[in-house]
Formats: sequence, structure tokens, C-alpha cells
Amino acid sequence: MQIRKLADSLGEWLGGTGPESDVVISSRVRLARNLERFNFPARLEGAERAECATHIRERILESKVVEAENYFLLEERSALERHFLVERHLISKEHEDGGAGRAVAVGADEILSIMALEEDHLRLQILKSGLQPVETWRIASSVDDLLDRHLHFAFNPQLGYLTSCPTNVGTGLRVSVMLHLPALVLTRHIAKCFQAMAKIGLNVRGLYGEGTEASGDFYQISNQSTLGKTEESIVRDLGAVVPEVLKYERSARRTLLHRDKRRIEDRVWRAYAMLKHARILSSDETMTLLSALRLGVHAGIIEGLAPAAVNEIFIFSQPAHLQIRAGREIPAAERDVLRADFVRAHLPSL
Amino acid sequence: MICENCKKHQATIHLTEIVNNTKKEIHLCEHCAEKQGVVKQQMSIADFLAGLASGGAPAAKHKLPDVRCPSCGMSLAEFQTGGRFGCADDYTVFRERLMPLIEKIHDSTQHVGKVPARAGRSVQREKELRQLQAELKRAVDREEYEQAAQVRDQLRRLEEQAEGGKEPSGDADQEAGR
Repeated sequence: MQIRKLADSLGEWLGGTGPESDVVISSRVRLARNLERFNFPARLEGAERAECATHIRERILESKVVEAENYFLLEERSALERHFLVERHLISKEHEDGGAGRAVAVGADEILSIMALEEDHLRLQILKSGLQPVETWRIASSVDDLLDRHLHFAFNPQLGYLTSCPTNVGTGLRVSVMLHLPALVLTRHIAKCFQAMAKIGLNVRGLYGEGTEASGDFYQISNQSTLGKTEESIVRDLGAVVPEVLKYERSARRTLLHRDKRRIEDRVWRAYAMLKHARILSSDETMTLLSALRLGVHAGIIEGLAPAAVNEIFIFSQPAHLQIRAGREIPAAERDVLRADFVRAHLPSL
Repeated sequence: MICENCKKHQATIHLTEIVNNTKKEIHLCEHCAEKQGVVKQQMSIADFLAGLASGGAPAAKHKLPDVRCPSCGMSLAEFQTGGRFGCADDYTVFRERLMPLIEKIHDSTQHVGKVPARAGRSVQREKELRQLQAELKRAVDREEYEQAAQVRDQLRRLEEQAEGGKEPSGDADQEAGR
């Protein structure tokens, strides 16, 4: 499959159909695995690196977890296509830089992706819509079992799965949920919420994971420690915190609607008006406006607009998506015009 | 609201303390809160790497021993700069320096999660043993003696199995040399 085809569809996680989808965008599980017989990617060069890349590709295809046409070598992809894969949450920012032998395997509906030769030999990811960390872990574990039959993972009975960075050693598991928390941001309760999470060993990150800023009020919460607990308990612990955050966000939404109904309605409808009529839209501005719109849809301020439609605009209006779909590279200024055209055309009249 | 400590930044951390029935409110910016130890700062990878030299005490300036991994050639100093290991053997070569730090990050030095199929049943059984031992301790602590007795019996059965050597030879060896 060509990357262009991916650009016309939406991954399962963007369907807006999963549990608690008014606040929870997606649940994600990532497993870090390395192969016993090769040096880790940081020390893997030349012929050995090439051999490792081929070995990984052959074994992954042999395991049949993905189709050969969905195994993409990043070297063969343009910078634009690689950035598209980041926007799509199929590869990390670090992986985007390319580098010899790096690849990504993408499963059906984009639920599964496997990065080859990122920080670790393999980074397996399962991404599902809404709050379903346990189900997401279950799928990840079964794919891991399949791969385990074809690849020999570096493992030590005491330290578990050995990873390039000791912060991932043990289970190699990072479970995260992407949350939309506009009301906690507006009511300035977000810092308090994050402090509470830090205290119980959870990380809070921006939209695209490690080292990225939060934009559009989207935040990713994930476990910090990967050793000394079973995968199930790591997943359960994270899963237990999320309902509390949901309650907090929903109560902040109710407070806003109760106390400042006009002001919040005004904010939402202004966002709609800007999106529906603006002629130039930067990606930052679009993100901020869509965040307000999303709040409006889920708080019942805006009716007749499907949550999936907002998600669709949100993903398709990103820079690389716009360019891939247009079939060419487009300078930023021109892109902002194209973005405004796209949003106008896709946002229904209400 | 402005931070009452530095009087410069926006206060984002608001605390309520009750001392001798008197309520006191404190408003701090993130930076000052962190400095005053109000917000627990998690160990960052930078702290982790800085702590390598001293085997735990962060940021102490000790000279790193000049040990290199025979498999990948990585030295501790190189690891400290790059933050990534070069191969699986580094965990063994640098074990002494690494373990106290791993314990700091994860609050544990023992994997209890999933095990690759080919690592064999022995690892799996060790894992079950550890889980049962922990369960036994929990049950005793909570004075749930009936539950404790059940767990103890399970433990005994598992230990007997191990001693009886009923298990087929570990399949890990089959793949050796790959």
C-alpha cells in the first residue's frame, strides 16, 4: 500500500466511538523489545545494521502480523511522508529522522504499528479509540506472543526485557491515554491535576509523546516505572486513575456551563465561526479552535456535529496531511490558505 | 495570582495548610514549589546518568571506572553522554553501577512481568514463586490466615514440582548460538 492511501482513511482510534470518548481520545500500549544477537541500535552500524534490518523485516512478515505492502522503509520515504506518519501517530518524532534500516510496519486499521530500529530494535504499538487500556494491552500482548515465536528477544530473568534505555527495562511497557481536558485548562485546575498524577508515578506529556508540548488541550498520561510490576497491574493502575481525571474534567465542564454559560457558549460558537469562515488558518490556531469546538460538541452546546467529523478535520488539517493529500509540497503561507479552504468545506453548516 | 516567593511568576500551585487550627494558604509558581520541595520531582534521565559515576548519589563528580563492554565496546562515560546502552551485555558489565539507579527509577530490581516463551518454564516458575510469596506476605499482614494457608499450599506444590524435576529441559538452550 502506498502512504497516499493511508492519507485518505482514518485509523480506528480516530473514530470517536470508544468508551468515554468525550474526554478520552485514545488508549495506547507500547512494548520495547530488542534482539539478543544484535547490538542495540545506538551501536549498530554498517553491514551488521543492514543485516539486523533485513532480519527484522523477514521475521515480522513471517509472523504475518502485517502485510508486506504495509512495511515501509523510511529511507525510501520522503521527509514529508515521514512527517505524515508522525502526525498519524504511527512513528515517533525520533524515528522521523530516518537513518539506515529504519522502518515501520502498519497493521489493518492502523491499530498496530511496529517501528524497527528506533531507540530499540522493535517498538510495538497498539492504538485504540477511547478508554480501553486493558483491551489495548491484550492485543499488544498477543502480537508480542506472535513475534516472540519468530524473534529472539533479549531477556534476563532479573531485569526482564532488556532495553536501550534503563528507564524502559523490565516489561518495556508504556501504557498511555490521550485526554482532551479543555475545562480543566480553562478553570486552571490542570496543574493541580498533574501534580496529583506525578505523585502516583504517572507522566504527563504533550500530543506527540515524549518531549512535545501540549497543544489543543490534549494531554497524554502514561506510567513511569516499567520494572517490578506485572503488565496487568501497570495497565490497571493507569486505568484506575483515568476515571478520576474524567470526573474532574466533567465536573469542570458542568461548572463552566453553570457559572459562565454565555461565556462558554460564546467561546465555542466563535471557534465555529472562525473555522467556518476564516480564509487563513495556521495549524496552531486550528488546533485551539478545534479544541473549543470539540468541547462544544461534547458539552451539548453544538448539536448536529458528529464527534468523528471534528476528529477528521483535526487530523486532516495537519501540515503533512494537507500536503500529501494535495500531492505536493506546499509552503507554509499557502498551506494556511489551503487549510482554511479544507476546514470550511468539511465543517457542516449548522 | 503572583508567586509569593519570587513575586515574579504566575502562581500555579496553591496549597492549604492547617497548623494549630489556623488555615494558611500558600501560592507558588512551579519553579519555587519545586525548589521548596513542595512538588516531588521525579528522577529524570539526566539525574540518572549523572548518578552513574557515584553509583547512586546524583550529580557527585566521581571519576568513572574505565570499563568497556567486550561485546559492543561501550564505556560508562559513553553511556552517560548518550543515555543509551550498546547491547544487552551492558546490563551485566555495568551491573554494579546500574542496579542502585535502576532501583531508584523503578523502585524495584526484579522483573515480575511477561517472560518470552523460549526463556523456558524455570523463569516462569520463579516468577510464580515470587508472586505467591508476595501474596502470602500480604495475606499474613492482613491477618487473612485462611487465604495464607491456601497460598502456602500452592507454594509447596510449586516447590515440590521444581525439586522433582518433572519439567522438560529448558527450551532456552535449543536456540543457543543463534
